[in-house]
Amino acid sequence: MSANDILDVLNIQRDNSGQPSKKKAKHGNDSTNLQARQTGMARELYNLLGPNTPPVNLTNANNNVGVKDRWKSKATPWTLKDFKPKSGDPLTLYHWVRGSKELLEQDNIQVQQPYFFTKFSTNVDIPDFVDEETFNKYMEDIEVEERKNSELWEERRMEKERQRQEKLAKEKAARDNEKKIKGEKGEVTGISESKKDASSEVTSQEDGSQSEISKESTQAQSEEASVIPESKTNAIPWTYKETKHLFELCNSFELKWHIILDRYEYSSHRSLEDLKEQFYRVCKRIYSDDANGNPALIDSLGSFSKSKEVERKQYLERLLKRTPAEIAEEESLVIEARRFELAAKKMLVERSNLLTLLDSPQTSQSVQQYQSSQGLTNLYNNLMIMDKNQKRRQLQNQSSPSHDPIPPPIPLAASSSIRKERTFQTHLQQHLSNLVKQNQSQGNKNEISAIHKLLMKRLTAKEEEAYGLHYHANERLTPGVILRSSQRLPGLQQRQSVLKSVTSVFTELDIPTAGGTSWRPVMPTRKAMAKYDELLRAVVALLEVKKGRDKLEAEIQLIRSQKGLE
Amino acid sequence: MASANSNANVYGGDEINAIILDPGSLSTRIGYAGDDFPKIITPSYYAANGKKHIFGDSINVPRADFDIKPILKDSVIEDWDAAIEQYHHYFDKELALDYKEQPIFITEPIWTSAKQRQTLVENIYEKFDFPALYLGRAPTCVSFQQGRPNCLVVNIGHDTVSVTAVIDGISLLKNSMRTHYSGQYLSDQLYDLFLNKFPSLTLDAKYKIRTKTPTKYPEPPVFTPRELPKNITKSFDDYQKELLFHEMKETLLEAPDKQITDENSESYSKDENRRAFELPNGQSIELAIERYEMADSLFEPNNYSFTNETLANKYSVENGSLTIDSNQDDYRPLKRARKNESNQSTPPPAATEPSVAETRGLTQLISHVLSTIDIDLRASVAHNIIVTGGASLIPQVTERLYSELSSLNPGLKIRLHAVGNSSERVNQAWIGASVLASLGTFHQMWVTKEEYDEAGPDKILNQRFR
Repeated sequence: MSANDILDVLNIQRDNSGQPSKKKAKHGNDSTNLQARQTGMARELYNLLGPNTPPVNLTNANNNVGVKDRWKSKATPWTLKDFKPKSGDPLTLYHWVRGSKELLEQDNIQVQQPYFFTKFSTNVDIPDFVDEETFNKYMEDIEVEERKNSELWEERRMEKERQRQEKLAKEKAARDNEKKIKGEKGEVTGISESKKDASSEVTSQEDGSQSEISKESTQAQSEEASVIPESKTNAIPWTYKETKHLFELCNSFELKWHIILDRYEYSSHRSLEDLKEQFYRVCKRIYSDDANGNPALIDSLGSFSKSKEVERKQYLERLLKRTPAEIAEEESLVIEARRFELAAKKMLVERSNLLTLLDSPQTSQSVQQYQSSQGLTNLYNNLMIMDKNQKRRQLQNQSSPSHDPIPPPIPLAASSSIRKERTFQTHLQQHLSNLVKQNQSQGNKNEISAIHKLLMKRLTAKEEEAYGLHYHANERLTPGVILRSSQRLPGLQQRQSVLKSVTSVFTELDIPTAGGTSWRPVMPTRKAMAKYDELLRAVVALLEVKKGRDKLEAEIQLIRSQKGLE
Repeated sequence: MASANSNANVYGGDEINAIILDPGSLSTRIGYAGDDFPKIITPSYYAANGKKHIFGDSINVPRADFDIKPILKDSVIEDWDAAIEQYHHYFDKELALDYKEQPIFITEPIWTSAKQRQTLVENIYEKFDFPALYLGRAPTCVSFQQGRPNCLVVNIGHDTVSVTAVIDGISLLKNSMRTHYSGQYLSDQLYDLFLNKFPSLTLDAKYKIRTKTPTKYPEPPVFTPRELPKNITKSFDDYQKELLFHEMKETLLEAPDKQITDENSESYSKDENRRAFELPNGQSIELAIERYEMADSLFEPNNYSFTNETLANKYSVENGSLTIDSNQDDYRPLKRARKNESNQSTPPPAATEPSVAETRGLTQLISHVLSTIDIDLRASVAHNIIVTGGASLIPQVTERLYSELSSLNPGLKIRLHAVGNSSERVNQAWIGASVLASLGTFHQMWVTKEEYDEAGPDKILNQRFR
């Protein structure tokens, strides 16, 4: 029974046009293939699917065959094979190895492989221990050397001690003097109670600090005292047997010192450092007697210092013994210190900014030349160019020489000199004429425009003004015609908050603005615009200077108060 | 060789199915290396009537005249004949081993004396036909189970609590400490509690009861007893009672989050902390603060002294120090002479001075061991504290340990590692030994009888079984 039959029974008209895919599928399918695949129950079920033939054939016969193949194929043989984990040891163990017995035997005959893991069994390189005679000789040498060292050390220690004593005595004397003076003062001026109190407080403080110092010194002494006996416990001499035991342990425990100490069976009072010291110095002797000993190794062996090691461990111990409160305090201090550092850095940056701001116009020269509008515009232009140059340098680091000629950077001090100004003007004119020449070469060569003629002439400032001529030195101009009323003033490139305070200054000074958010004079002539921009900048600079001054003043106050306290 | 190669790429293993034997004071575990679980877990007790010995769980069957005897004490074999017989029983009958085919790995605690070790090794060589053997320290095995070469193994077992530092996979013996405030101690605490608080209670073990009707404690128990053979020995009854205590420990105890004092005892005796336990005879008892006090006694054994005299005498004051005797006897007088000499100048470390009479609870014990470990290792060891053993399964024990250790050692970063799976935690040493004995690099460590005879027990015991 197929889907068709059911449809017939239910009297449903089949819409054949809607099932083009089925037809195609039928045509596309190899009929023999289909029949081969579907027999019995499977076919009936498949037929029941009716027109809803799945686009992808779900039953993949090949897969089943694969599994069957795998079932039928022979399993990989594994063989229980004997092996010797250690060469030269009778012990034989058994493990399972992949491969048939014959194959493995064949392999085995060809090459007798050592056990795979044998290569991981390594030994540390420790010199062979010497016989008793040489050992005794070594120990004598070492003793002599050490005695010399200790004498030297003792001397140095005595020296230090003396220095400290002197220092202490000096300090004490100085303090006594001070105290005396203070005491006298107290007696002399000690009419009023309060002053007496103050002086007694001071002396008590003194006492406190003195006792602290003495405590410190005793602590230092005790520390040194603790070091000395440790070097003296060396007095338990190293016997040949004991050292041999040590070397044996070092060999069997691969120089794992903590374990060597743990398994050390001679004296329970040898510390880890004692063992290390003895081992290293004997090793050093053995190596230096050996003709082909590695000198670098010998040097490194000699660099072990027991006292330093002990000291290091003491420090570590102290570090671990901190109480939670101390740890918390330390952490908070670190955080605070970091905050201070950050604040100081910020302050430094701000101050340097401020200093550069205050520096840029050199005030050493007379201001006379800037009093005329011409002078001022020149100055402004110069500064603008400088500014731009700096920016550009930062940006491209003069990697590619730009097409338009940039006047060479004008040194600060000379920026306002007339000579430089003149050179600048000639630069400008050259530039302009170059441009015009280019134009000419492109266009009609012969016709020399009136403007060009005009330019070729050397115009005075007055004439320029009269003609309404203006050199846009290196100002970036947007192409096309623009209204000056919609021009953005370069001075307006400030932060919003700064602009706000600038407005308030303007209203204070009764300087008319167009009102609202538009920042331009009522009559935006070129000159007015320039002036206005200048004014804006000046106000901004002023505000900044004021801010800086306030800050500096506060700082001075702070320092003063601190000094005052001390 | 192919398999060895491919295995080496993965984990360096090469399985030879060695036998792992892990005798503990409560139970003994036997199985094959490379398995993740022992094949046999059997009580370390046996039943004997003078002629016949019975091993395994069938010792729980009530029989006339059969005494229950322990094989081990403090994880050390006491009854050698029974031990050998037990091992023979399991190797021959249960596992049906061909001894020649594989070596045997035996775990041992760190406090076994040289003599005990020698006896064990020689017995194994003599009585069994294993081609080779290895003695592994239990803490080393635990460290292998966790894969942490530097760690502090805190084993809260049945007889003992032991704290051992493991460095580079080798146990440090001198720093190790052990007390008896452990599983058995808790059982005794429970027994003491019953003697005090429920004096009228007859602790009837499960084997006596056929049917029961639930009653509440002050009411008498209502049950029909089972018909039993005559002459049930006292040791059998005691053993069954121990099992009952064991069950109670498992279900009732919980560690308080801090030491119980007069102030905070109120909160622990609240109703929400009350738990009922039904005894085998149908009687149910309720415990509240006692549950916490029992577990607290692990941490503060000082505060919980026994009222019963025999129990009190069982536990002397212990500060945990261990005296592990050196194996080289000829050097000993030398050592002693030096000890006297130096006692005047510098006090020796506390671990070697048994005169310090002080009880150390679990936390103090661990913290003391930590403080004796070399400063260079302390931080890494404190960061890898492995808590294992059956009694560590008491709820909140690790949490309490963590909070106490952290507050005692503010400079150290404490981290506790406890396996979540309870049966893994009980058998951790066995599993670790199984890992160790299936490593390819380990197979060069096996010691044959020939090598043992040749090198002598001293060298083998100290330098080969490290």
